[in-house]
Amino acid sequence: MQGVTKSYPNGRVALRGVDLTIPEGDFVFLVGPSGAGKSTIIKLLIRDELPTKGAVLLDGRDLGRLKRREVPKIRRKIGIVFQDFKLLPQKTVRDNVGFALEVTGARRREIDPAVDRVLQVVGLTGQADQLPAQLSGGEQQRTAIARALVHNPRLFIADEPTGNLDPLISWEIIQLLLRINELGVTVLMATHNAEVVTAVRKRVVALENGRIVRDEVGAAYHRED
Amino acid sequence: MIAFVAFSLRRAWQSFWRNGIMSLAATATMILMLVLLSGLIILLTGLDATLNYVQQEVQVVAYLKDSATTQDVSTLEASLHGMPQVTQVSFVSKDQAYRDFLARHPDEAAVINSLPTNPLPASLQINLRNPNDYLDVATYLNNQPSVDRVLNIQQTVDQMVTVIGILRAGGAAILVVVGLIVLFIIVNTIRLAVVSRADEIEIMRLVGASDAFIRWPFIFEGALVGLLGAAVTIGLLAVGQGPITNFLSDYFKVLPVEAGTTVGRNIALIVMGTGVGIGVLGSYLSVRSYLIR
Repeated sequence: MQGVTKSYPNGRVALRGVDLTIPEGDFVFLVGPSGAGKSTIIKLLIRDELPTKGAVLLDGRDLGRLKRREVPKIRRKIGIVFQDFKLLPQKTVRDNVGFALEVTGARRREIDPAVDRVLQVVGLTGQADQLPAQLSGGEQQRTAIARALVHNPRLFIADEPTGNLDPLISWEIIQLLLRINELGVTVLMATHNAEVVTAVRKRVVALENGRIVRDEVGAAYHRED
Repeated sequence: MIAFVAFSLRRAWQSFWRNGIMSLAATATMILMLVLLSGLIILLTGLDATLNYVQQEVQVVAYLKDSATTQDVSTLEASLHGMPQVTQVSFVSKDQAYRDFLARHPDEAAVINSLPTNPLPASLQINLRNPNDYLDVATYLNNQPSVDRVLNIQQTVDQMVTVIGILRAGGAAILVVVGLIVLFIIVNTIRLAVVSRADEIEIMRLVGASDAFIRWPFIFEGALVGLLGAAVTIGLLAVGQGPITNFLSDYFKVLPVEAGTTVGRNIALIVMGTGVGIGVLGSYLSVRSYLIR
């Protein structure tokens, strides 16, 4: 991101001149109080919003200059999960994950093996035919992670993935994200979970009032001076 | 391409049944509105047929001089037949006029019988294609030597033409207004059905589905709602056809017999077209608001 400023039509300025580079294969925590601009950065990265000033480059491409029909293709390079999982309640775990491939026009014989593979990665092979309502919160989040992974994304974005989960389960989810990162996928995780951030000692980017106030590798959630 | 269409159709079919209540609401609204629309069309068709009938009944009556010979009359009749405005010419002889008079006014028999000769003139009764041509034909007749005078009903004709025009325009206006209301209500109901699935659309966008993949299942679903609604409406109309036809022929009396089947087929086509068209349009508009960003 180069000199990115984002203001919304209601006049609120969410980001002010943000410069941020995330090298491929990195694991980055995005921290800061609510309203600091974490969600806006994520929306800009998936081109759900466009910057008011500056440019967002993903894999060398300026997202602001993409043609409309190229947007879906870029999004397939990004996997994203949210605090509220966003699973379809009438579909089984397998179908929820397969849905991501189905809606991009993949064929049935490509879908099934890909789904089996990611379910194995997240450890849900046994629950493949259950509905989201029959799963625990952690299992639902792992289903969402599997769905985000099924396209083999280069960038994995997690927006408060542990916000609805208890500490033990949160820890499992973080372990999973670290594994994904080890497989070579860049991971960006926005979170409030200080304990986790401090424990894993990865790069931490702290936002406040739309500005980056700290960018440290191997850091804790709070400033350590 | 085939896989895409199959995917869209399958998804449309699945989500129609999975979102049973919304689909039911949309289909029920569709049926209600289509029945309203077809009822209105049936009434207006009846009105239109009646107006056409009334228009055709406008006659120019030309009284002939007693001196006119049979030869004069047939020449005049032939020339009238040659006029494009004229549909029919009938000759009423003096004797015929006399009998008609007696039949219409039996009490006056004594009066007319007391006269030495038959005072009633022979006449030509001319039916017009369009009542607006009244003046042309009347003027032509007035200039004929064998014509004594032309019955002047210009004012009546003018008034009738005005009233018919107002009724026609009123009918068309009501049809347009009701049509727009129907369109609005159905589009809104379908929009509700789409909005209730905003999550699904959001997920599709996030995982990188192209616009076509998001849009077409909803459009097919809208078409399905329209198709189902139209089918039920046509079924209802078919069941009600007997009573409707009776009502129409009682009420308007003048409908030609074959009108029933033509009207029926037209209404079936209109209902089917409107249903599917509005279903598709409604879905398209509703999904569009999610895609444009």
